[in-house]
Amino acid sequence: MDGPAALGQGHTQPQQEQAAAKVVERLNPAVQQQLNLESVKTRAVSLFKAISRILEDFDHIARTNSSPKWQDVLGQFSMVNLELYNIVEDIKKVSKAFVVHPKNVNAENAAILPVMISSKLLPEIEADDNSKREQLLYAMQNLSVPMQLEKLKARIDMIGAACESAEKVIADTRKTYFGTRQGPTNILTLDKAQAAKIQEQENLLRHAVNHGQGLRIPMDQRQITSGLPAHLADVLPVADTSQTISESSGMYMKNTPPMASNAVNNQGALMQGSGSQLMGRAAASPGGTVMSSFDNTTASPLPYANSPRSGSNMMNTPSPQQQTQLQQQQQQQLQQQQQQQQQQQQQRQRLMQLPPHQQQILAQQLRQNPMAGLGQSLGGQQQFQGRQLPSGGIQHSMGQSQLNQGNQLNRQFNQMSSTANSALFNAAQATPNNQMMSNMSAMMPSQPLVPRMQFGLSGGNRTLGSQMNDQVFSNMGASNPNNMMPIQQQQQQTGSQGSFGNMQQNTQNLQPTMVPMQNLQQNFQQQRQNQQ
Amino acid sequence: MECVVQGIIETQHVEALEILLQGLCGVRKENIKVHELCLKSGPNLGSEASEVRLLCNLEQPEPTWTVRHVGGSMRGAGADQISVLVRTMVESKVSKNVLRLFYLLGYKLDHELLRVGFAFHFYRGAQITITVVSVGKMLKLHATDDSVPVTPGIQVVEVTAPASAENYNEVATAVSSFCEYLAPLLHLSKPGVTTGVVPTAAAAAASLMSFSGGNNNM
Repeated sequence: MDGPAALGQGHTQPQQEQAAAKVVERLNPAVQQQLNLESVKTRAVSLFKAISRILEDFDHIARTNSSPKWQDVLGQFSMVNLELYNIVEDIKKVSKAFVVHPKNVNAENAAILPVMISSKLLPEIEADDNSKREQLLYAMQNLSVPMQLEKLKARIDMIGAACESAEKVIADTRKTYFGTRQGPTNILTLDKAQAAKIQEQENLLRHAVNHGQGLRIPMDQRQITSGLPAHLADVLPVADTSQTISESSGMYMKNTPPMASNAVNNQGALMQGSGSQLMGRAAASPGGTVMSSFDNTTASPLPYANSPRSGSNMMNTPSPQQQTQLQQQQQQQLQQQQQQQQQQQQQRQRLMQLPPHQQQILAQQLRQNPMAGLGQSLGGQQQFQGRQLPSGGIQHSMGQSQLNQGNQLNRQFNQMSSTANSALFNAAQATPNNQMMSNMSAMMPSQPLVPRMQFGLSGGNRTLGSQMNDQVFSNMGASNPNNMMPIQQQQQQTGSQGSFGNMQQNTQNLQPTMVPMQNLQQNFQQQRQNQQ
Repeated sequence: MECVVQGIIETQHVEALEILLQGLCGVRKENIKVHELCLKSGPNLGSEASEVRLLCNLEQPEPTWTVRHVGGSMRGAGADQISVLVRTMVESKVSKNVLRLFYLLGYKLDHELLRVGFAFHFYRGAQITITVVSVGKMLKLHATDDSVPVTPGIQVVEVTAPASAENYNEVATAVSSFCEYLAPLLHLSKPGVTTGVVPTAAAAAASLMSFSGGNNNM
């Protein structure tokens, strides 16, 4: 028999065993660890006190007819409930020690077994029970048992009905309370004008919060005139070379030259802005990071040897001289837009000096150039410094079919023995339409960038003067007025979207890097006239 | 994913609302001053422009940045039956370089606004956040110091609760039941649905103000 170890240890005399459950005996140490009876008793007593206190409170409330603070009452109730639950749980755990499950009768158990499995209540409990029962059936003692049953059932039903009606009343009250906010029974209604005004304000506010309507500053007003607040001051670079970064990067419409299409406008402005942007953020673009390492006399090792752009990176690193020159010119750019206009016109004239056949070659190659390749190769303004375009022969080598895929373009770059300017140049040139040209013309106003572009065209000549840039720039402009657009489109199609901005920017640079040909100017003008 | 409702309240009743919320939520209010920059992606990042919001919390001496992307909301008959808007939302703390990062990715600033107000974060069936802010616009770019309220007399109240695909019903229920408590002062609805002000607002505000610290025996 799996009797309680405690009782097993106790004396086996029947008299003692009868009161074993209540006698303070030394429990089995294991049981004692599980449940300290003393603590249980203490907790039960304190619980009893808490409940009695709550009942007293209720008495007091009932007597004084004040409404109870339900929040507090419920809180107290939950506390008491929880404590009771905990005590019961604890006792359940050790109930095994006090529960008898007789399996076998032997001499040892025979005496106490009847006591243990007796269902007779303990004397005190029994007395308590009896008194309660008398109280309940006081009125019905005379009646027969079935009658008593019926009466008890009726009593239970009444109590149930009372509970239900109480719940219903609470729900109804709640509904009417919330119903009144819509029912204008005794509530002032706003007059029409005021309501309309509020409605209008509300729409304004909601649209502002959700969609930003009414909060957009027009592009031409997006100038950072006053100092930036602290949290933006160190976030947006405020170097003098890149004052407009926030606006150029964020609002590409600044300094937008008049353009044919909106898309072109964006691109042009983007080129203008992002040039400075990239300048200011040397680490931003892959092209940017290779800025400083380029030596224009050698094909320097590529910082991103394994990147898809690695082929084109060769030509993306400007020399330090050119880089600083570029920075200086960017500063000037921000301040001298008119000069830009003039200079770009001069560049266009210089472009005319390219021999006609080269212009045609450029045009062909630009038509075919996928934007991806172009974008990759046009890492930034600085990237073109020091670049020299190959002679026309090399340009010929850029087959049209090859140029149609950016990856192939990269490979071509790698294959180029000369500086990869040629590939870049060809890439730029491959964009077929006139859109490029219009973008280029848009780019023209961003003057300081242009003269800096030292994208030398002459094969063996590594002079990187601004003149060459101008010539190249104008050459590019001459041959492919609208090449930007298709580049963009192609770029999107080929998925190399990241380079878009670079590409935009670099088309400006491409122009200056074209081979300075002395006789291009007139041709350029003619072409522009033809195209326009 | 989050459940969200919005409402408006007249500025004169905001204090009463604060008292009511103090009683309902049982937590302390947090002041809010957030510079929100809304960036839209450029054409290089896909045919559909995506929008991302950068929130710079200016309340602390050291500003903290959060990036937030709000996606499409749930549609359909089921969504119509729910009184809150359930939409996808992704939010993350970021470093202060986030603005530069997004600019470099090609995002452009679409608009910016300044939210000044207070918020309560508490748990009532779901983790609920209620914010009451006055939305201000900046006349000059990034000039958070001089901002002008978009609507001086009206502030925006927003109740949000994060949810997941499994529990959004419970969260929606929790949010809408909480909103019922605010019924005397304002009416909350899905963003985009106009509500107007509540006629009882003035009376409710008066009663709330008269017992400051008020008992909310609801």
